[in-house]
Amino acid sequence: MTKLEAKNIVKYFKHESHRLKALGGVNLQIEDGEFVCLVGPSGCGKSTFLRIVAGLETPDEGEIFFDGKPVTTTGPERIIVFQEGALFPWLKVQDNVEFGLKMAGIPKDERAQISKRYLDMMQLTKFADSYTYQLSTGMKQRVAIARALVMDPDVLLMDEPFAALDAQTRDLLLVEMQLIWEKTKKTILFVTHNVTEATVLGTKVAVFSNRPSTIKKVINIDYKRPRLVEDQNLFPLQQEILSELRPEVKKS
Amino acid sequence: MKKPTLVKQVIFYVILVVIWQLIAMSSVWPNNLFPSPYEVAEDLVYTASDGSLFLGIGTSILRLLIGLTIAIVGGMLLGILMARVETVNQTIGSLVLGLQSIPSVAWVPLAILWFGITDAGIIFVTALSSMFAITISTYTGVKTINPHYIEAARNMGAKGTQLAAYVLIPAAFPHLISGFKQGWAFAWRGVIGAELLFSFLGLGFLLNVGRQLNDISQVFAIMLVIMMIGIVIDGIIFKRIENKVMSRWGLR
Repeated sequence: MTKLEAKNIVKYFKHESHRLKALGGVNLQIEDGEFVCLVGPSGCGKSTFLRIVAGLETPDEGEIFFDGKPVTTTGPERIIVFQEGALFPWLKVQDNVEFGLKMAGIPKDERAQISKRYLDMMQLTKFADSYTYQLSTGMKQRVAIARALVMDPDVLLMDEPFAALDAQTRDLLLVEMQLIWEKTKKTILFVTHNVTEATVLGTKVAVFSNRPSTIKKVINIDYKRPRLVEDQNLFPLQQEILSELRPEVKKS
Repeated sequence: MKKPTLVKQVIFYVILVVIWQLIAMSSVWPNNLFPSPYEVAEDLVYTASDGSLFLGIGTSILRLLIGLTIAIVGGMLLGILMARVETVNQTIGSLVLGLQSIPSVAWVPLAILWFGITDAGIIFVTALSSMFAITISTYTGVKTINPHYIEAARNMGAKGTQLAAYVLIPAAFPHLISGFKQGWAFAWRGVIGAELLFSFLGLGFLLNVGRQLNDISQVFAIMLVIMMIGIVIDGIIFKRIENKVMSRWGLR
């Protein structure tokens, strides 16, 4: 079943007086439960595309369809995880995780029950009463993922969530992310500039061209999990993606 | 406070009082223009023992609290509206800048004509002297919120007053605190200034009485009290809140 469909998405960046065509007609179809990684040269608008899917920005042309209905605004069925997590520093970890539930008017006891499950899943139980400034970058990202999962969204939108992490923490989270995906069966859209990350995580990797961007190629990855970063068998795929990406990066 | 700082301060004030006493004893100025610390202390004890000092402090503080509360509520409301609705900023925003530049005592004639010699008149002056400083810092605070906080909150379903109460205000809080601090300082000037001119109870009134009776030690004594209240509110109450907020928000 098609969960998300992007039809001819065009978006201009406004730069003072002139307009820059960032997205030049992006078409993408994502089935329910797929893990799709978006890679592309920096500045190609892949993050903007994600924000359009989240409903945080509107496209200048084209439409996003969610379960066949056009997306007009942001909503809890499409939850975004930002690169720096965007956790609220005035709230404890548990209150951060429960934020969306509170907004939905769910009573405190019930919120605590739900958040406990995800705090456990992300190994954050010990830190439930901590403030975010007391956490490492990796821990913060775990909280951000827990906060998103608590909303039980149909689609998880991740905007380079591991870009600021050190290599060890990232490798660990790459494995955990696969387990979470297998456990929760979420549809995931994951923006990254890291080709290895994309091949480890994705069931599909969509390669963006340079501006004005379109999707140049979609590569399917059918390989056993959990995949590890050092797995040699993923090398040919990574080479294939890089060979698509390289000319685009040069153009940018 | 660190011990050495406290010791230094105690020594400084002791020296200050000694110098003051010496100048008073040297009769450079006649005694009816420059009282000795002993005479000022005597006056303080006297006005304290007949209760007039405490009545004055209580009256002024009560007016301050009511005026400041009105200013904080109104200022925050206006500031948030200005930051979130461009039209409000473009219209009322320019007026706020003008109103903010009116010195607090300049509101007094208007207050007397509108409210007569009443508490309401003095509270009016207090509220208006501080409201626009709070409006401007709220505006700046809300404007400089990390946009990802707002996007994440909207994405998780927060909107309208929920967004304001659970995200905008707490996220802007470090700015708000400095706004409240500024607001309180303006309010305090407003109260004392208004009481001087209204000559209707309070510390400003006592100050005016001192002048009318040519009682220089009362003038000194009341000024001392006004200053001490300032030190307590600024240096103890606000400092504590500020320290807590800064560390919680991860700014220190």
